[in-house]
Amino acid sequence: MRLPKPNLILAFSVVLMATTSGIALADDAKPFAGQTVSVLLPSPQDANMAADFENATGIKLDLQTASWDDVSVKISTALLAGTAPADVTEFDWSWTGQFAAADWYTPLNDTVDAATLDDIKGSTIFNVNGKVLAIPYTNDFRVMLVNKKQFADAGVTVMPRTLDELVAAAKAVKAKGIVKYPIGLPLSATEGASTSWYLLTKAFGGDLFDKDMKPLFTAPDSAGYKAMAFEMMLLKEGLVDPASTGLKDSEINETLFAKGLTSIMISGEPGRLGAYNDPAQSVVAGQVQAIPVATESGKTRSFGLLEGLGIPRNAQNPEAAKEFIKWMTSKDYQIHNYANGVLPTRTSALAELQQQGKLVSGEALVEQAPTVEALFPSGAPAWYPQFSLAVNTSINSAAKGEITVEQAVQRIAEAAAEAVKQ
Amino acid sequence: MVLPILLTMGGLVFYPLLSTAWDSLHRVNPMQAGTPFVGISNYTRVFSDVEVGQAWLNTFKYVVIAVFAETVLGVLAASLINQLKSGRQWVLAAVVLPWALPGVVSGVIWQWIYSPGPGLLNGLLVMIGLDYEGHLWFNDSTSAMLAVSVVHIWRMLPLTIVIVLAAMQSIPGDLYEAARIDGASRLVMFRNITLPLTRGAIAVAMTNATVSAFNLFDEAIVLARNSLETRPILLQIYLEAFKKLNFSYGMALSLMVTFISLAISLGYVLRIHRSTRLD
Repeated sequence: MRLPKPNLILAFSVVLMATTSGIALADDAKPFAGQTVSVLLPSPQDANMAADFENATGIKLDLQTASWDDVSVKISTALLAGTAPADVTEFDWSWTGQFAAADWYTPLNDTVDAATLDDIKGSTIFNVNGKVLAIPYTNDFRVMLVNKKQFADAGVTVMPRTLDELVAAAKAVKAKGIVKYPIGLPLSATEGASTSWYLLTKAFGGDLFDKDMKPLFTAPDSAGYKAMAFEMMLLKEGLVDPASTGLKDSEINETLFAKGLTSIMISGEPGRLGAYNDPAQSVVAGQVQAIPVATESGKTRSFGLLEGLGIPRNAQNPEAAKEFIKWMTSKDYQIHNYANGVLPTRTSALAELQQQGKLVSGEALVEQAPTVEALFPSGAPAWYPQFSLAVNTSINSAAKGEITVEQAVQRIAEAAAEAVKQ
Repeated sequence: MVLPILLTMGGLVFYPLLSTAWDSLHRVNPMQAGTPFVGISNYTRVFSDVEVGQAWLNTFKYVVIAVFAETVLGVLAASLINQLKSGRQWVLAAVVLPWALPGVVSGVIWQWIYSPGPGLLNGLLVMIGLDYEGHLWFNDSTSAMLAVSVVHIWRMLPLTIVIVLAAMQSIPGDLYEAARIDGASRLVMFRNITLPLTRGAIAVAMTNATVSAFNLFDEAIVLARNSLETRPILLQIYLEAFKKLNFSYGMALSLMVTFISLAISLGYVLRIHRSTRLD
């Protein structure tokens, strides 16, 4: 077992208090036994989740899963129609402004105690005017993922810290013929293309908007502009698969990176490290590691994309739904669920995983964690979906050569201005 | 006898239509309080909305390609099937299969066919010596538009065939017999007997093809996701209403699609009616 380093324990133990005892459900306290709760979450989820939840609470679990984009569609259409898509649903960070404005979700202030909220630092992202609309269950901040074996085979011994070094490493892998397209980057008109561009904008040292929500990405010397030009350069140089214009981020993760067909995930999800390094689920087990996001300057930056659990206002069984949220965000389940690629949101759970030596690439995650920023410091605005849609359709058009980078950023800026105006 | 029809049509067609029309004159957005009257601004906004303009343009292209291909190929296929002396029911069953598949399933099947790596289409083209190794059908706006259209045509063509074939089978054999005795060729018989007597059915098939092309959605979203270059108006409406939550704007666009597709369809029907009426 790998011994924990003092700084790792310190980083993960800031709020490691006796906070979880109230979350654990005793076998003799099953007030909702026999009831059924419906849950809608992105796939994949733990195959034994229903059985484990029923054992713990006596509540039957009707779990529905689909890809993130499909879940998003299902939730918004059901809510608009005035029905609850399920008793508990996914609640993405990017929906906060929109869903809060529409008043679609039940505040969960009385569902979890203050100590839990303190242990789950990211819960503030779902707090709108004092109402906690969701409890984070997956800690999705971005790092870069690399196939260290392919790097070693290409003679790359030092992990890249700058974008220039990253490109050089990719070129070395390609030159050796190890893989045809060494960099995984979604360029389809889907959310994954947007989030990759946001990350690269951070990597080029900039932000998307100023404090007055004015776009900061239209000038050629701006970080956002350079980030998109960088993406197009990677495509032109043959470092990114041209078929990425039709691939979601999950498809690139599962069909390219997990199969050893690409060496670098620009916008890597640390939660996937466990699955990548599990021989039963991946052909690149033991080859994958996280590295802090390489940047133009060499000083790493990242941003968080927390996903939470929320209860729609007209859920049929809100009390059982609360039990599910308590159970799924409990420390014990978060530690268990890490094996399924879900990085805990509880600081205490992360610390325990690190102490047990189970946290893959723990050092990189610890280095990245303090640099994680909110994409929108004052919370995701209600117009975020419009903005994001403009971002990914414009990147997609630029990647297909239909428009230039300049036209793409201009189109995004116009869409943002229009969205803000509404 | 008429009451059930009136109630059904009123409840399921006219009330929702009028309700949608009324709401489209208001601002309906769950993120904003109230539903103030905004007049026709949801309709005039179409003219300054670049994305909606592109989606309309794409849709008109889909309509032209689909209606032309489905009509020409449908009439030809129906003529060929009409010639069959035996096994017609088996051929029809096979032909109708794509129509019976849900649009999403058709999209997924063709996604595999168009796939740049192991895709069937590229494989066949390479097999006959053409340089289509790893070709990306959706990285060029023209070929992407055609690729989506092909899937839609593949799915809807059977309906045209069935409609036109039914009309062909109702043409009395005596007419062809008389024409043969007069020395008419097959082409002449097709032009002077088959086509005039199936015009009504062709008009119905073209109406159906037009409406279904205006409603193209599944194939585009499965094959090219939200890509602007292939985005049809129905997908744009979905994005406006369910992603951006501009509900009343989506309603206005929906009504425009309905009336435009009906107006074009009415054009076919009136034209065919004028050219086939007995007086």
